Amino acid sequence: MSINGLSRRALLQSIAFGSALSVASSIPGISFSASGGKLTVRFNRDMDSLDPGYYVGGHPDNDVNWCCMPALVHYDYVDGMAVWAKSPFVDRVEVVSPTRIEFKLKSGLMWSNGYGELTSEDVAFSYDRMAQSEWKGDYVAYDRTEIADKYSGALILKQAFAPFMTQTLSSGTGVIISKKATEAVGGKFTNDVPATCGPYVMEWKQGQYVRMTRNPEWTGTKPQYDEIYCPIVTEDSAAALAYEAGELDVAQISSDTYARYLKQVPADSKLTVAGALQYMWLGMNIDNPKMKDIRVRQAIQHAVDVSAINQGAYSGTAELSSGIVCPGLVGKRNQTGYSYDPAKAKALLDEAGVSGLSLTLRTLNNQERILASTIIQANLAAIGIAVEIMPLDSGPFWEMGQESKGDTWKDMEIWLMRYGSGPDPYGAFQWFVRDQVGIWNWERWSSDEFEKLYVELVAVSEAEERHKIAIRMQEIMEETGAYVFLTHEPEVFVHRDNISPRFAPSGETMLSYFKA
Amino acid sequence: MLHMIPGDPVSIALGPRATPEIQAAYAAKMHLDKPLIYQFLIFMGNVLQGDLGADVFSDRSVTTTMAEQLPFTVTLAVSAIGWAALVGIPLGCLSALKPNTWLDRFTGVLSVGTIAIPSFLVSIWAILLFSVTLRWMPVIGAGESGNILDQVHHLILPAFAVGLGWVGYLARMVRASMLEVMGENYIRSARAFGLRSRTIIFRYALKVAILPTITLIGIGFGSLLSGAVFAEIIFSRPGIGKLIYDMVLSRNFPVIQGAVLVTVGLYVFVTLIADLVVSWLDPRVRDSL
Repeated sequence: MSINGLSRRALLQSIAFGSALSVASSIPGISFSASGGKLTVRFNRDMDSLDPGYYVGGHPDNDVNWCCMPALVHYDYVDGMAVWAKSPFVDRVEVVSPTRIEFKLKSGLMWSNGYGELTSEDVAFSYDRMAQSEWKGDYVAYDRTEIADKYSGALILKQAFAPFMTQTLSSGTGVIISKKATEAVGGKFTNDVPATCGPYVMEWKQGQYVRMTRNPEWTGTKPQYDEIYCPIVTEDSAAALAYEAGELDVAQISSDTYARYLKQVPADSKLTVAGALQYMWLGMNIDNPKMKDIRVRQAIQHAVDVSAINQGAYSGTAELSSGIVCPGLVGKRNQTGYSYDPAKAKALLDEAGVSGLSLTLRTLNNQERILASTIIQANLAAIGIAVEIMPLDSGPFWEMGQESKGDTWKDMEIWLMRYGSGPDPYGAFQWFVRDQVGIWNWERWSSDEFEKLYVELVAVSEAEERHKIAIRMQEIMEETGAYVFLTHEPEVFVHRDNISPRFAPSGETMLSYFKA
Repeated sequence: MLHMIPGDPVSIALGPRATPEIQAAYAAKMHLDKPLIYQFLIFMGNVLQGDLGADVFSDRSVTTTMAEQLPFTVTLAVSAIGWAALVGIPLGCLSALKPNTWLDRFTGVLSVGTIAIPSFLVSIWAILLFSVTLRWMPVIGAGESGNILDQVHHLILPAFAVGLGWVGYLARMVRASMLEVMGENYIRSARAFGLRSRTIIFRYALKVAILPTITLIGIGFGSLLSGAVFAEIIFSRPGIGKLIYDMVLSRNFPVIQGAVLVTVGLYVFVTLIADLVVSWLDPRVRDSL
């Protein structure tokens, strides 16, 4: 017997399945996530502040702002390279000259709480304010915004600044805020955002979760998910367990978990590397008497087995580094001028007439760094250098090379260091210019050629030319002998295989672009 | 104490790349540019006016944050101690009433075992078994606000993990007290008068033997207020312990000071309640007050 082609058995099975589904859905803890309705995403930490002018920056503040606040441009990818692309808030963004960026906002995009429409006046207010804010360093080249009409205008730069689109406007500091709403709350806010405008509206419970639901006033392209629920899970292993228990759809994972998942990915899951904008190196203080002779520094470059560090400390999950420009960026170097060669290292030490050298290796006291330090200790012992490892808490570690914090910099010999970069090579090089000696350039070298190239890198916008400049700058760094480039640690996410995610190159989620 | 932790709190809070302007603004906001005694006096002056200060990053009132977080920790501590008492006290009684039998020895091994296993290990094993393998229990969070059933569901594993060690403590304490009390003259007299065993145990022996246990429960509850931190981190539950842990990492001094003050106050309050209950139950203590 059949009803309109549906057999009795099939009908009963459908009813039974539907009933089971509805009963199961009502049981707490059992949810059918990533089905187009609700997406559950781990946030590693709580929000600090959503005000782009006065926030701490990074995850999860950017993740939330990109869902709930306007911007002219967002990150996108072309052939694996991070690029800027116009956001859903604009009809047009165009770099018409190295110092002029024109834009036209979409009409009818409304701020919440009755603050009216998103206008070019909000754009001008936001970026003028950024140029005066705690993040004014990102706006060093910004001059003003010319308002053409209610929706159109142009950003005017004082000088050509190639990173402006990818480093400044695409990142969290490019977020636009409502002029009227911000002025109404006294010019600053934190997590009680006075007016939002975006595909989602946000609810926040401190220390617990951020929940984003569709903005009923949003007239732009509809995002995939009705609700994005982001529990704050600070502990990496707890996040991995929660993912395996089915409570999370997307979670950033640690290198340990990444190595485990590479052997066996959890069922119905995929791993996505969002970026690897970290660069780690072994640094040497060229002003320290023990490290003055470049042949000693070059000996250390040849003595350190970088592959062994990657295997031992990062389970082989990091990308080996050849410079400070990270994978996926213009200027990424693929090879160093030195290689692991203990015999050559020993010969260089002999040539320098150095024997019985003992050095102190300073490092942050986390598991990976200690493992890496131990391997370096063994590598250098093989060429006759005795290394004592000095693990440090983050406080003393981050101030040891700064002249303003005391005289520790004078005693520094070698250390393990890792910096994060933006999606433009400028973000990495800015810490090694002459002005940074004794601040963040702890190796304490400087070079006229490097300074000149740095100015060119910032001004030139042509990718091929910038690539050549960045390569040469890294060669100069290597030639000082003060660096053994080690690894680029990846930002890795595990997610259900029916989800197509998008991430910023710095590892934040761009949740309104997630697709099922 | 916080100021004695190595490292510049501004660098730690803001990260290594914060500009000097951001660092200066942060230091001024936290009064770190003032002498330590001045900072302390500012804090105490504000406390006396009922103001615990504001979160350095979010500007939220610390009092509001405490009001949000405290119920989660109190609920967890009450649940953990509650189930531990429900299991531990009868176990201790049974053990004392049947000394040197297999039941007593089994209870002894069980008690020492539960005391010896750290609660973070219990948490992880419980998650692996009940959440990852069987998928009966949720791993993270405290449940949907307003959904009591969901909140209870999220409470079961953390309460189990935190309370397990206290089962052993309470069982050993009750056993020792009961053995002592059962040897007292008035219990022998009661037996000589022909009272039923049940009456002797529940009406006369347990009433006295339970007194040190009440004090222990008071101390246990107090220590769980801050000791639940492992469970709160592993289960990603909100609560005072996790809050203090997170804020110490980010050197958010106002929140740490507020949380520590509230925890200490609550500890004193709970200990006082335990002492009052003991004095209410024990006329000897009451008369000595």
